Amino acid sequence: MRTLATVSVGDELPELARVVSREDVKAYADAGGDQNPLHQDDAFARSLGFPGIIAHGMFTMGHMASAIVAWAGDSAAVVALSAQFRAPVFIGETIVAGGRVRSIEDRPAIAVLETWVRVERDGSTEWPVKKGEARVRLA
Amino acid sequence: MNPAAEGTTYPAVPFTVEPSRVAAFRTLFGISEGVPPTFVTAAEFAAFPQVLADRHLDLDFSRVVHGSQGYAFRRPLREGEELAVRARIESIRIRGGNGFVTIAMDLEDAEGVVVCTARSQMIERATGA
Repeated sequence: MRTLATVSVGDELPELARVVSREDVKAYADAGGDQNPLHQDDAFARSLGFPGIIAHGMFTMGHMASAIVAWAGDSAAVVALSAQFRAPVFIGETIVAGGRVRSIEDRPAIAVLETWVRVERDGSTEWPVKKGEARVRLA
Repeated sequence: MNPAAEGTTYPAVPFTVEPSRVAAFRTLFGISEGVPPTFVTAAEFAAFPQVLADRHLDLDFSRVVHGSQGYAFRRPLREGEELAVRARIESIRIRGGNGFVTIAMDLEDAEGVVVCTARSQMIERATGA
């Protein structure tokens, strides 16, 4: 677990990138229990106005959580986590999770992080998660 | 979706923190140990069918997208433990033909301690959107 003495306001989390594959989205559907056809059936997704299937919001948030856990050093250190899903993520896109330390509390020692997930699309930045937040316990 | 369903509570549903399923989450998200925080949503989906089956709420899952998600932990989940998942409809708003429902779920351990509260905002998109 990360220690209070090593954390400063403004510290950036190392960015974490991954390419979203159809196989990974199916693996999330099976592990997470969300079999909504919006995430598996292109024809169905098109009937809702999307160009094809989109990743689960929880796939994107799970990736964001990976970046947070990697920084925190322990899954158990994450005491709160939230995200607003702002834009869909399509198959083949590269999602990049990041964050920074917004504030630090003591007794108990907690780092409050602002977090996000971005994707480059058609030459501009989209924000699948623009406003994420995490509270991470420090040793 | 029916705004009058706000406040509805549902019976507890059992959920086991299956080690094999936790391992699948860890592998998928590259987390080396512990229960990944977003694994809680697997428990939410155990209780979700009764929400979807609620004719009074009348939520059309085929038109649902996920608006936001949050978790507050009293302690991390433990692999292998049995939890009771209690769902409630915390709020419902209709705007521009889209329905916004916030479903809160408490995960209780065998001692009756709420180890995590999860909140999911689901958006039921207007037909033809």
